[in-house]
Amino acid sequence: MPHPLSQLRLRMRSLLHRAEVDQELDEEIQYHLQRQIDEGLAKGITAEEARRAALHTMGAITQNKEECRDMRRLNWIEHSMQDLRYGARALRGNWTFSIVAVLALALGIGSNTAMFSVAYGMLLKPLPYADADHLAVVYMSYFPRDFRFGTMSVRDYLTWKGDNRAFEDPSLFRTLRMDIAGNAGVPEQVQGASVTAGFFSTLGVRPLIGRTFAAGEDTPGSSSMAVLSESIWRRRFGASPGVLGQTILVNGDPSVIVGVMRESLRFPRLDTEIWTNLPLNPPTRYGPWYYRGVARMKPGVTLQAAQAELNNIAQRIMQQNPYYKRLTFPVLSLREALLGTSVKLALIVLMGAVGLVLLIAVVNVANLMLARATVREREMALRLSLGASRGRLVRQLLTESVLLAVMGGVAGLAFAWGGVALIRAWNPGNLPFIDSVRLDWASLGFMILVSVSTGVMFGLVPAFKSAHADLNTTSKEGGRASTVGPARGRTRAVLVISEIATSLLLLVGAGLLLRSFANLQGVTGGFSTPPRRILTVLISPENAKYHDELAGIELYHEILRKARNLPGVEMAALTDSLPPDRQGDADTFEMEGQHLAPGEMNPVVSVIATTSGLFRTLGVPLVKGRYFTEHDNQDSQPVAIVSEGFARRFFPNQEVLGKRIMHSGPNSGEPWMEIVGVVGNVKYLGLTVDTDPAYYMPFGQAYYSRMFLVVRSSGDAAHLAGLLRQEVQSIDRGVTLAQIGTMEQALILSVSQPRFDTILLALFAGIALVLAAVGIYGLISYSVAQRTHEMGVRMALGAGQADIVRMVVRQGVLLAIVGVGLGLGGAFALTHFLRTMLFGIDAKDPLTFAAAPLGMMVVVLLATSVPALRATRVSPLVALRK
Amino acid sequence: MSKPTDLVQGTVDLLILKTVAIEPMHGWAIAQRIRQLSKDVLQVGQSALYPALHKLEQQGWIEAEWKMSDSNRRAKYYSLTRAGRRALAKETNQWERLSAAISMIVRTA
Repeated sequence: MPHPLSQLRLRMRSLLHRAEVDQELDEEIQYHLQRQIDEGLAKGITAEEARRAALHTMGAITQNKEECRDMRRLNWIEHSMQDLRYGARALRGNWTFSIVAVLALALGIGSNTAMFSVAYGMLLKPLPYADADHLAVVYMSYFPRDFRFGTMSVRDYLTWKGDNRAFEDPSLFRTLRMDIAGNAGVPEQVQGASVTAGFFSTLGVRPLIGRTFAAGEDTPGSSSMAVLSESIWRRRFGASPGVLGQTILVNGDPSVIVGVMRESLRFPRLDTEIWTNLPLNPPTRYGPWYYRGVARMKPGVTLQAAQAELNNIAQRIMQQNPYYKRLTFPVLSLREALLGTSVKLALIVLMGAVGLVLLIAVVNVANLMLARATVREREMALRLSLGASRGRLVRQLLTESVLLAVMGGVAGLAFAWGGVALIRAWNPGNLPFIDSVRLDWASLGFMILVSVSTGVMFGLVPAFKSAHADLNTTSKEGGRASTVGPARGRTRAVLVISEIATSLLLLVGAGLLLRSFANLQGVTGGFSTPPRRILTVLISPENAKYHDELAGIELYHEILRKARNLPGVEMAALTDSLPPDRQGDADTFEMEGQHLAPGEMNPVVSVIATTSGLFRTLGVPLVKGRYFTEHDNQDSQPVAIVSEGFARRFFPNQEVLGKRIMHSGPNSGEPWMEIVGVVGNVKYLGLTVDTDPAYYMPFGQAYYSRMFLVVRSSGDAAHLAGLLRQEVQSIDRGVTLAQIGTMEQALILSVSQPRFDTILLALFAGIALVLAAVGIYGLISYSVAQRTHEMGVRMALGAGQADIVRMVVRQGVLLAIVGVGLGLGGAFALTHFLRTMLFGIDAKDPLTFAAAPLGMMVVVLLATSVPALRATRVSPLVALRK
Repeated sequence: MSKPTDLVQGTVDLLILKTVAIEPMHGWAIAQRIRQLSKDVLQVGQSALYPALHKLEQQGWIEAEWKMSDSNRRAKYYSLTRAGRRALAKETNQWERLSAAISMIVRTA
């Protein structure tokens, strides 16, 4: 185009000075007319005749002007405004239609916007690390432990570091709870991490004040140092810059504060508040396996390439150490490591599900639009015959549907706002990144995009159908209600079938998760005391004197005595591990008389130190032998109790009582312990983990300074928390109490992710079901209304009410059968994606696959029965007269 | 909706461009000129003429100016722009090729 500027000028003039331009157009046409008349007069006819002739040759003047306006593109915006006004009027004119459509869209768009906000906050929002895409977390996994994302030992790390090429200098870290004390203030326990010197530079984060660890500060013998989080700095030190150089006690170890880290650093855990330097002492034996690696991939290295290199390193380590079987170093991107792989999968599944809900909503509204299009056929035909172009009609109808969708979107925004608030409020505490989930500009953009595109989607087909209405037939049909053309009826039936199929798919998915969640709720964790009657608290004495066994045991006996004296307390005990997922320690052990292949290492299992009362307090059954007693102490013969799973795995078909095992293994200097009892399996690694073999050592013989106090109350245990805290701190104010809560709370927390997934998917399936029901109800009532005449004839000819009902219901049931069939097929093909989210049931669970279609059929029958009953109330006389 | 069936839209454009290339002219005069030059064979009705004029103006090929006409009334005079002159050359060229091709076929067949 030659003159963009002058064109713009013309266009602006057309828009802004509309009246003037219109007037000029008038004048121009008028001039033409006048010349025409003049010409007629010149030929000698009368003025009147000349005028008539001129007007005749000029044709439809108005239409001509309209075309000129079109040529100026003047109409584009003006028409849009007209369309909007007209659309709004049309929507106002049909309240029920508009409300149903807007509600359906609000549900669809709203739930999508909410879900998008959640997924965006968790999956897409940029992490606050320099070039975070290149950061990876390295785990270790090996038989017999077989944790997919397990930990490694310092020796494994050193081997990896020696052979590493893919990463910049890899760092090592360990997460642990840390008691901090000193410098006044109540001692408290926070989430901490012990990290190698390169940790912070690997992440590319700078401290708020002070410094991070310098190279070499992770060598053996380095003095203890700490980097504080901003939160702890504000809380305990009033944000004073003088904090640098001060000494605090971290797990009783005096450590110099060298820096304060920004709040945005949330690694290795989201709630990490303190980092200490990790001295890489040369390993004297294999283990302990406490550590994970974090490293920055070199430029050009992909996650796959890094994984391949680590696989090779794992092969080499396995050749050197025959103990390791199936050893791998799984690598995850930093985000996935923070988020957890299960969360990502769940979010993808939920996004898919909510997308299907939107699809159903769109189909529903398309269906309503089609129904309305039939009613408006005459309106369209009239406008066509009055000279409106088909394109103009399509645009007008599209404007209407986009307007509808945007209204739905705005209403949906309210839904989404409520939904996000609900999700945040109901966050059980361990959903990652939930606090970065909010309705923001991204959500708003998403909502607008979805609204407009859905508006176009559900508007396009009905709009084209309407605009291409056949003038002749439609006009001829006159006032009589016409029957639906077979084509349009078929389109609507296909839409309803797809709705039924999609909702069935969601129903099956929700059913599977519900059943799986019920299974999860049925898992006991291995103890029989009602969870709400158990209160647990982690006790860490800060004073270094309690590192001494005698002083420590005395302190704990006093704590136990005070706890037992509290009103309502039936029993109290100590343990360093708790179900369902608070494993304390895992280590190697040796069986007396065992033969290891050269280089083979002893197996690793959970080791639990506990006082005599633990099994009775929790209600862990004694299978044989005896529980610990008060008399199992330093002065008596060392003993151990093993779990059933332990006995089965390590002493199959043997009498386990009387056998001797040793903590750690040969050369550890530990004594042989005689197995005196076998107890039921308890879950320490989460409810979904198959029983992990474990053995127990009596607290009197295996002192550990940080223990869980477990209290069994005669009633609800929650109210004991305050009392317990007072009593314990009355013994020694320097004792930290952390993680106070009932077992019930711990169980709920441990299944929060599956509960989150289940509730959301069930909610989505519910919405889908309602929408599908509305869809089928709409179709059937519409077709009943269309067939009033036919019904009248049938009844006049002797059809009974039952026949009419059967006829109408049959139509609905036929649709449902096809839809259910398709939906089942889809479910069969898709549910295996849910496999890793399911617990205790198959992805093709027959019960779910039977119940969901049944439920769907019931809903369809209900939705059909209302219009069916209405059909029977048709009076033949009235129907025939119409 | 009554476009002349024997005159394709592009042809009207070409005729208009050619006509106003001679001198600035108002709509009526353009129609008259086309009729005269074609010896009454081609008649461009105003229903085709004015939309085409407004389109060409919008495209920037012609520009308009209000002037007093010979009949002493205000009329809108269209004249060719530089871009219009280029377009005319191109369209003429194309038209000649097209019509030559068509006549070749019509004659031989």
